[in-house]
Amino acid sequence: MSQETSSKGEDDKKRRHIRIALAGNANVGKSVIFNQLTGLHQHIGNWPGKTVERAEGTLSYRGYMIDVLDLPGIYSLSTYSIEEVISRQYIAVEKPDVVVNVVDASVLERNLFFTIQLLEIAPRMVIALNQIDMAEKKGIKVNHEKLEKLLGVPVVPTIAPRNVGIEELVEKVIEVYEKDVRPLFTLKCGPEVEARIEKLSALLREIKSPYPPRWMAIKLLEGDEEVEKIVYNEKPELERVVKALGAEIEEIHGHSVSSVIASERYNLANRIARECTEQLIRKRRGFIEKLEEATVHPVLGYVIMAVVVAALFYGVFRFGDFVTALLESFFDMVKVAYDGWFGTGFLATLIWDGIIEGLIAGITIALPYIIPFYIALSILEDSGYLPRIAFLMDAVMHKIGLHGKGFIPLILGFGCNVPAILGCRIMETDRERLICGFVASLIPCAATSVIVMGLVATYIGMNWAIALYLLDFAIIVLLGRIAFKAAPGEPVGLIMEMPAYRRPTISVTASKTWFRLQDFIFTAFPIMIAGNFVIQISSLLGLLDVAEKVMSPVIVGWLGLPAATGITLTFGILRKELTLILLASLMGTKNFAAVMTPVQMFVYSTVVMVYIPCIATIAVLIKEFGYKRTLIITLVEIGFAILLGGVLYRILSLLF
Amino acid sequence: MRRRVRKGRELVPLTALNVGEEGVIAFIRGGRAAVQRLMDMGLTQGTRVKVLASAPFNGPLELMVRGANLAIGRGLARRIFVKAATP
Repeated sequence: MSQETSSKGEDDKKRRHIRIALAGNANVGKSVIFNQLTGLHQHIGNWPGKTVERAEGTLSYRGYMIDVLDLPGIYSLSTYSIEEVISRQYIAVEKPDVVVNVVDASVLERNLFFTIQLLEIAPRMVIALNQIDMAEKKGIKVNHEKLEKLLGVPVVPTIAPRNVGIEELVEKVIEVYEKDVRPLFTLKCGPEVEARIEKLSALLREIKSPYPPRWMAIKLLEGDEEVEKIVYNEKPELERVVKALGAEIEEIHGHSVSSVIASERYNLANRIARECTEQLIRKRRGFIEKLEEATVHPVLGYVIMAVVVAALFYGVFRFGDFVTALLESFFDMVKVAYDGWFGTGFLATLIWDGIIEGLIAGITIALPYIIPFYIALSILEDSGYLPRIAFLMDAVMHKIGLHGKGFIPLILGFGCNVPAILGCRIMETDRERLICGFVASLIPCAATSVIVMGLVATYIGMNWAIALYLLDFAIIVLLGRIAFKAAPGEPVGLIMEMPAYRRPTISVTASKTWFRLQDFIFTAFPIMIAGNFVIQISSLLGLLDVAEKVMSPVIVGWLGLPAATGITLTFGILRKELTLILLASLMGTKNFAAVMTPVQMFVYSTVVMVYIPCIATIAVLIKEFGYKRTLIITLVEIGFAILLGGVLYRILSLLF
Repeated sequence: MRRRVRKGRELVPLTALNVGEEGVIAFIRGGRAAVQRLMDMGLTQGTRVKVLASAPFNGPLELMVRGANLAIGRGLARRIFVKAATP
């Protein structure tokens, strides 16, 4: 959208400010509209304390400053997911000036179910009837004027990727704001339900709450815990009234109240959708539909998936390796120049090792993998392929307590745990994100594989390396299942939409990648630099010798490893590949067979594999899950590695 | 209306339908969150659903519900009871 600044004097006198929120189902092209509206004026971050992305942007149009907030894609305003709770709180509490409800014309009925719920909160509203082109391809034509009349809310037909209708949409938003148009539409249930809603909402008038009384009445009858908390805190005596009214409705209908009301909403959505849609004569089955069928086919589907996942993995990590190597040689040159200018005195070393190294680690390890990963993730999300992978892998992933969507982050974990943990966002609930993140942090990344290959495969044999991997997978399954049992919340099976395939738009992919990258740099880099600083300073101050002595009972006594390995494990937190490099320099040889027994090498590699996520991984864990949960994950992994290493040492010593 | 002889008028779990077959939802058993979510996605009583695909190894089912394609895990699908209907 063009950034217009009106030349008319009267408009410039007072630049008016409007806050709008985009709300709608997932996969309706909301982010494309957001992108068309805000262009480069965006900021992607997190909702405070939540693993939910918050995208904001601004647009100036005809003397108006319009703040646009892209709410997460949701299907309902209940309390199923954090996204739903965030959205309804935002709409009711923060009260955006206008809510733009983006509706997918090709799945009108299901989208209207959400629209009806939005209307119950009664904000100023405009509907963007999006993807009308895709709907027509599916043989569906929606009469937007009729829809507007039936709902009493302005409806603007749009085709977001081609910028069709976007300007009209903004015009409508301004009009609704200026004229203060409020929707009058309400869900009318059957008389037996309606009478009870009326009765209850009359009792709720005095409750201080951002939500309308009628909305709260419906939610209370549905058994909404959030609203129960608000209302019963103030008027605990109402709990009995709600229970009684609910029981009466259940008595009449023979179903739970929430099911009765959901049916009422869907009946209404169905009626409206039928009245304003026209079925066109279908063209013959298109390529897209054939592709949809092929990608979930019991045989062909897996073949396609294997190719896509392999290409994704190969693409991300080939690119990453290439760029990392380039950057490393570049920074090596910088280091030489640095030493030339500043010498290798205490202060110069302190600054380089303590501060600059941390920054370099961030740039060379994280960025080359994260940029291609964000691009790949955005394409997977926007094209609609991700749900197909989840569909095919669901059964397998259930073995470790996750559902199908978790497959993508875990596969990526084999390259680098950092993008893997960032990818856990594709899981719906907080609980699943946490389990997925925990499991992803256990996957042996490329650096860990270097150690396994360099020690176990080289000096003991390939069979033992494979055995070590199998052991690691067994650990992942075991710890994953334990996490599944231990994580708070109710596990819900897979329920997801399989959206029609779409061509991802370059502008959305590019801007998503760019703004997500900014967010990553701001949140993860400081942690990585600080972590590096602490370890390097301890090393310079000679604290690591003390640490070696402290750790010695565990390292030597319990794990049966040479004392010097304690230091390598400490530095391994910075980058896992350092463990091997440092081991060689501390032992004074690259021939590890001369200084370690095969049992020691195997135990050492096992510990390196499991013992702690590297600093970059810790940084993203903190970014995604907060300090407390990261600490728990880290401690569990250290504890488990020590336990396992010691047990292995004793068992293997008996065998050899 | 002609009904299938095999499944008659009795209720069967959704998983008993073959790919291409349709049914009308009679009731859903399960936890509150899961049932609420299924209803939010359009699987309310009396809704007609069609099985579009079924993933192997006890994987999920792909359904056509109210004009939308949905994937439902097998565990959940087993608790959705339908009356088999002629397509």
